[in-house]
Amino acid sequence: MSIGHLRFSLALPSGVAVLALLSGLPPGLGAQDVEERFPGVSLGLTYETRALPDLAIQPFTGRLGAEATAARAENIVARDLRYSNRFAVMDELPESMVQEEVDYAFWDQMGATWLVAGSVEGVGSSRVLVLELHDVVYREVVERDRFPLADPDTPEFRMSVHAASDAVVEWVFGEPGIAATRIVFSRRMEDGTQDLWVVDSDGENLRRLTNHQSISLSPAWSPEGRRVLYTSYRSGLPRIYELDLETGAEKQVPAPRTGDYFTPAYHPDGETVAFAVVGGGRSGIFTYNLVRDCCFQTLTEGRSEDISPAFSPDGSRLVFNSNRLGVGAPQIYLMSYQNSGGNARVLSPYMYERPGYYTSPDWSPLGDRIVYHGRVEQRGRHQILVSELARQNRVVQLTFDGNNEDPSWAPDGRHIVYVGSRSWGWGIFITDAVTGNTRTLVSGVRPNLPAWSPPLTR
Amino acid sequence: MMYRRLLVVSVVLAGLTLAACRRESPPPPAPVEEAEEAGPDLDSLRAYEDSVRAAEEAARLAAERERAVADARAILEQRVHFDFDESAIRSDTEQVLRQKLAILNNSPQVQLRLEGHTDERGSVEYNQALGSRRAQSVLEFFTQNGISANRFQTTSYGEERPLVNESNESAWAQNRRVEFVIISGGDQINPPGS
Repeated sequence: MSIGHLRFSLALPSGVAVLALLSGLPPGLGAQDVEERFPGVSLGLTYETRALPDLAIQPFTGRLGAEATAARAENIVARDLRYSNRFAVMDELPESMVQEEVDYAFWDQMGATWLVAGSVEGVGSSRVLVLELHDVVYREVVERDRFPLADPDTPEFRMSVHAASDAVVEWVFGEPGIAATRIVFSRRMEDGTQDLWVVDSDGENLRRLTNHQSISLSPAWSPEGRRVLYTSYRSGLPRIYELDLETGAEKQVPAPRTGDYFTPAYHPDGETVAFAVVGGGRSGIFTYNLVRDCCFQTLTEGRSEDISPAFSPDGSRLVFNSNRLGVGAPQIYLMSYQNSGGNARVLSPYMYERPGYYTSPDWSPLGDRIVYHGRVEQRGRHQILVSELARQNRVVQLTFDGNNEDPSWAPDGRHIVYVGSRSWGWGIFITDAVTGNTRTLVSGVRPNLPAWSPPLTR
Repeated sequence: MMYRRLLVVSVVLAGLTLAACRRESPPPPAPVEEAEEAGPDLDSLRAYEDSVRAAEEAARLAAERERAVADARAILEQRVHFDFDESAIRSDTEQVLRQKLAILNNSPQVQLRLEGHTDERGSVEYNQALGSRRAQSVLEFFTQNGISANRFQTTSYGEERPLVNESNESAWAQNRRVEFVIISGGDQINPPGS
């Protein structure tokens, strides 16, 4: 357990009291320094530092030639549970120490609270992974289930194991994990073209989704995870397209208004899409119903650019980005969906003389928080920020290293994926907003605008 | 005598045809002397010389106009630059836009696409909006100076099409720009004052 992880909040003046607690600031980061970075903002110690429950993994067993499959499944589950950031995971203990039968006394002695045991049963296409969750303290099996496994030679095999890992998280915490998810992003190639790529949430199965050799940007997942909406310049002008991931079919969202079509997002109903139309004298956010193939509607319209809409999980509100307070000072706005027009209010910590620069909002699937990125005033760098709606819009800074942009929430509402640049190059990173733990998802490519899928199990 | 005259005329005509084909070569001297002897043929000779001069003058004017049109096209296509995070027209930009304005006023068939670009700093998505705003600023300059908005398209590439693929102040300054693409009437550019 680490106390080194700190979370900073942009709080009310009472935050001064919290500042006194800050003895463990990251190296090179003084309180005054941070005051300079985000004007009108003070810091709070906010990453949770409570201990994670210890979870042990009994080596998975497999019979009838399934030993190798069992070992692969065990590795995947162990890593998924570690990446959930909800457990301290104990695995890969020396085999001599581990019995095939569950030895509660041994695991109790090792400090485990939970134990996961697994076995691969059945043959061929009817293979299943049987998982058991043991309560080591009470010495009993608390949950047990069978999870169908996909062919071990296909990318879907890992996804079928991820679904089992997510069930373990749900058994312990009542809410599923996020292993069975993918991240779609735009990848910038050497020749300047960009296509969409997708990668599993554990960094495996990186592969290309589109091949238009044009500019493809701003991918967004449909609520059921079968479709991706994005911006493409392949007709010469930026337009919105929907890609069906199962059939590969694509269709263009009609463009009845003059202007550039950017930054699409699905409404939780899975039918309505919102997007920005920019230029042509008047810009705004508009919606279209893809299923009924009709109903081009105006949500906002004016002389400023309103872009990057994202809906609240209940679909009643949306968050977006606008430069209505200044071209160099984009802010984050909240607005009611049904009762739109003139009622947008600023969410980002705008100050009259030091307005700041805040863009790329995404609404947490749990509804309580909005993530975006903001410019660090002095060095022109950007960092990931979270506004907590239930706490008077208190703002928390999640990242401190390098430059970090374009965040997107995982379905658990606590992990955030974003693009970062470091001294060694570009990457996609994932930070857990609760523990502050960060890992690199993809490196060695120049990524843009990652979007985290909903759960993809079926 | 009669036959000789005919012969001279036909020789002169042949020379004239030849000269018309090869404008740069001097007229053949021999028939001229014969023509002087002939006397009455001076008129046709003068007409011939005038036509050569006129052709040369026309060629000179055409070359001059061609140069002026090429210059006008270069001015129309000259990109303009912006300050960091700004879409306001700078004074150096305004000078270039005024030159474009004179050409556009004179060339009603010409239509332009204004393509806004930004440097790589800041949000990818917001940079698309910023690029659009820059194109919009240029459009507004033209419409406020009496050019119909129908003659323009605007679009934005945000930070996706840098002119200079580097990360330094000089590259950023060059990348913050609006590009001008002639989408119609490119063969009907009239230089100012023509």
